[in-house]
This record gives sequence, C-alpha cells and structure tokens, in this order.
Amino acid sequence: MLAGAPMVSLRSSSLVRLDRVGKSFGNGPPVLAGIDLAAAAGDFVAFLGPSGCGKSTLLRLIAGLTPATAGEIEVAGRPPEQARGESFLVFQDPNLLPWRRVAANVELPLELRGEARAGRRERVRQMLDLVGLHDAADRFPWQLSGGMRMRVSIARALSVAPRLLLLDEPFGALDEITRDRLNEDLLAIRQHDPFTAFFVTHSVAEAVFLSNRIVVLAPNPGRIAAEIPVPFPYPRLPELREAPSYLAVLADVAKALRAVLP
Amino acid sequence: MNGMSRRPLSWIPPAAAGALLLSLWYGVKRLFLIPSFVLPAPDEIIAAGWHERHTLLASVLVTGRGALLGFLAAVGVGFLLSFVMALSQPLKRSFYPYILMLQMTPVIILAPIFVLWLGQGLPAIVAVTFMICFFPVVANTTMGFISVDRNLRELFVMCRASRWQEIVHLRVPGAMPYFLTGMKIAATLAPIGAITGDFLAGSQQNGVAGIGFMTIVYFSQLKIPALFATGLVACLLGFIFVGGVNLLHWLVLRRWHDSMTGRDS
Repeated sequence: MLAGAPMVSLRSSSLVRLDRVGKSFGNGPPVLAGIDLAAAAGDFVAFLGPSGCGKSTLLRLIAGLTPATAGEIEVAGRPPEQARGESFLVFQDPNLLPWRRVAANVELPLELRGEARAGRRERVRQMLDLVGLHDAADRFPWQLSGGMRMRVSIARALSVAPRLLLLDEPFGALDEITRDRLNEDLLAIRQHDPFTAFFVTHSVAEAVFLSNRIVVLAPNPGRIAAEIPVPFPYPRLPELREAPSYLAVLADVAKALRAVLP
Repeated sequence: MNGMSRRPLSWIPPAAAGALLLSLWYGVKRLFLIPSFVLPAPDEIIAAGWHERHTLLASVLVTGRGALLGFLAAVGVGFLLSFVMALSQPLKRSFYPYILMLQMTPVIILAPIFVLWLGQGLPAIVAVTFMICFFPVVANTTMGFISVDRNLRELFVMCRASRWQEIVHLRVPGAMPYFLTGMKIAATLAPIGAITGDFLAGSQQNGVAGIGFMTIVYFSQLKIPALFATGLVACLLGFIFVGGVNLLHWLVLRRWHDSMTGRDS
C-alpha cells in the first residue's frame, strides 16, 4: 500500500503550489521568474500589477494551457495539465459558442465529460439560478448584455464544480456599476458553492473587495513584489466599500502597486 | 438590419431603372433601325419565349438537373475534402496545390476530356459543373475549419475534449458560415457550369436538349429572339439556385450568426 501509493507530499495541504516558477517564450526574456506561491483551499487570491507583468500568463500556467519553463507547479497535488478537471479558467472574453443557447453553453463542459443528459440539465438549471439567469436559458449569446454573457461564462465554469477557479480580468470590459454588482454576486456564489479563486485584475478596489490575499506583481520579469492580506471576513456586504478599514487597505495596496510601477 | 427591403415603396427605384433601360432598348432599336435578327425588342423576346415554351421548359429541366447534380456533388465532396484537410495539416499541405491546379485548368480544356471518358450528355455536364463549383466550396470551408478562435480551442482543451469532440462541437458549427458562403458562390456558378457543359458536351435526345445546346440550335436556325429568350430562362435558373442557398443560409444561421441577427460586429 505504502510502496505503491503515489507520493503525497506534506506540503500538499495547499491546493496550489508554485515553486520557483518561470516562463519565457522562445529565446525571449523571461515573462515570469522565481514565482513562489502556495494557496490553501478556500483562498481568494487577487493578482494585481501593471500591464505586461505576466498576470495572465501565470493563470495560463496554472490552468495547464501552457507549460512552465522553470520550476514546478502543483494543482491538487498533480501537474497542472493533469489537474484540468480540478481547475477552470474564465477568460477575459466571455468566450461563448455563438451557435449555442445560454443553457447549452453552460452544459458544454458537462457534455464534453460525457455526463448523463438528465443530470446535466439539472446542473445547468442550478447554475443558471445561481448566476440569476434562469430566464435567459433559451437566449443566444448575442441577445445578452456584456454582464450577462460574463455570468454565463462563470456559470459554465462552475458547472463542473472546479476546486480552483481561475479568473482572468473577467469583469475588465464592464462598466463599474455592473462590475460591482458582479463582484458581490461572485462572493455570494462562493458562499453557496465554495471554491478557491485566483483572480487577475487591474482594479485595486475589486481586488480588495473580493480577496483575502493580494499578490502584487512587478514587471520585467514578472515577479512577486508584495503580498498583502485582506483581513475582512466573508460574507462581505456592499457596505464594506464605505468602511474606513476597507479604505485603509485600499490605500496600502495602491501604495504597493505604485512602488512597482516604472 | 437592412431597412431598404422593409420600407414600403422600395420597389420603385428598381422598377424605374427597369423602365428606363427598356425605353433605352426600344429607343436605340428604333433610332438606328436595328433589325430583329440582330437585336430583338423585349416584347419579341417574350413572345418567342412563349412560343418556344415547351422546348425551353424541357431544356431548363435538363440543365437544372445537370446543375443540381454537379452542385450537390461539389458541395458534398468539397465539404468532406475540407474536413479531411482540416484534420491533418500535412494532408492539407500535400493536396491543396493540386486542388488549386485543377481549378486553374480551364473547363474548356477539361470538357472534351470528360466527353471522351463519359460520352456526350448528362454525366459530362455534371462533371463540368462539378469542376466549376468545387473550388469555392473547398476554399471557403477549409478556411472555416481552420479559423477557429484560439480562446474557444483552449476552452475545449480545458474541458479535456477529445479531438473528435472538438471537431463536432467546435469546428463544424464554426465552419458553417464559411461553408454556406462557399455554397452561395457555387450556386451562382452551377447553372453557368451546366450550360457551359451543355454547350461543350451536350446532346439532343428525343428532341430534348439543355439550354447550352439550345443556344447552338437557335443560333444555327437564326431564331435570334428565341436565343435571347434562352438567356432570360438561364437567368431565372440562376435565381432559383441562389434563392435556394439563401434559404438554406437563413435556416441554418438565422438564430446566431451576425449576418442574420442584424448586428454589425
């Protein structure tokens, strides 16, 4: 039993572990270098940094869409390509199939996994309820607003109940009111359906409102410059945005971010 | 949305232009005293067409059949070939130049070869139509199969989709607009192909011949108004083909594709 069992390292209490991870494309300069990071199940980690600091690349490495060129990544104790069922990346763009209705878009990952039709339908219904889109199930993506499309994209990602949800600036293209609303909804969904989240954003306010840890990245090469804990317990209410303690963290993060700007 | 066709009175400008062209036609004919065996008047063409209606209807059916068979063969074979080439980059690289070569060879040269192999008549006409329709279907559909959004492909990778699932759920539906565009081009070419085939490789059987062959007959008999009527009938056949594919385009894409949903994107 012991001899044949796969090695389970003691460090695998963390869901995601990055050990001196680096990435370069071809012979170019490294995009990321020396990234050490561990996240426990239940963490909500926000990644902040100027454009070109490799935030999106980092998520793609963890999603197993592109291999790291240095160091080691583990997701749920496995290399990221093998952990694809455990993690799911929500892209910047909603990335829906235009020929499928909303419900069929949410159903896609379950369908590709070969799950039984009846169970799929039920799961899709739950997911659409969760993101508040049950009335839009029969619409096509072009009939939805940008915010609604992003909700569909999130529902689709959650349909397979991933333990790790990777979000690459999912609300970056939306107006601030819609974005605030979706931030609140994302946290509400997580209360119901707990997942670990890695969230890339350009918005300091969004990072502070959502996460319990903020990782600030510096460019050339992309590396971790600072890590700031966000001490507010979940569930978080919209009123948090007016609290002095929230504004204080906001100021701290803004300062850390300014320090890495060229 | 194309508002022009929805506006009431939108038929007036084309009707006015038609009236203008017709009066020009009559005017020129009257002014320069052009005889009817050189340029018949529109009413003479209609009258000749009516007089020859049985022959013309039979010839449209013959040509239409050749056009339809050649078109369907081109669409079917074209789709399958594109599909296979989309599956394998090496296969595409190997065969595409030869498909291109086939397209570059003028049909005028191929037609006698087809007659040699298949004899005069329908099979040769279908072969000529096929040759003309085939390339636009292959070129467009292949383009559709390979131009799949990178993010969508990564979505499928993330879902651990098999190659086959990626093809069925992503590439085939994604290629539909391109495939239908190829079909539209092929539909405009199919009647032309069949008439050309008919002209080069057609024959008269039991007094019935295709449109292309009838142009030779009418010309040799100097039935010039009937010759013009043949052109009119060929034109109608073309509209039927294009209308059919437009209908298909609408049926397949109306729900989701930008070209049908009235969005400019």
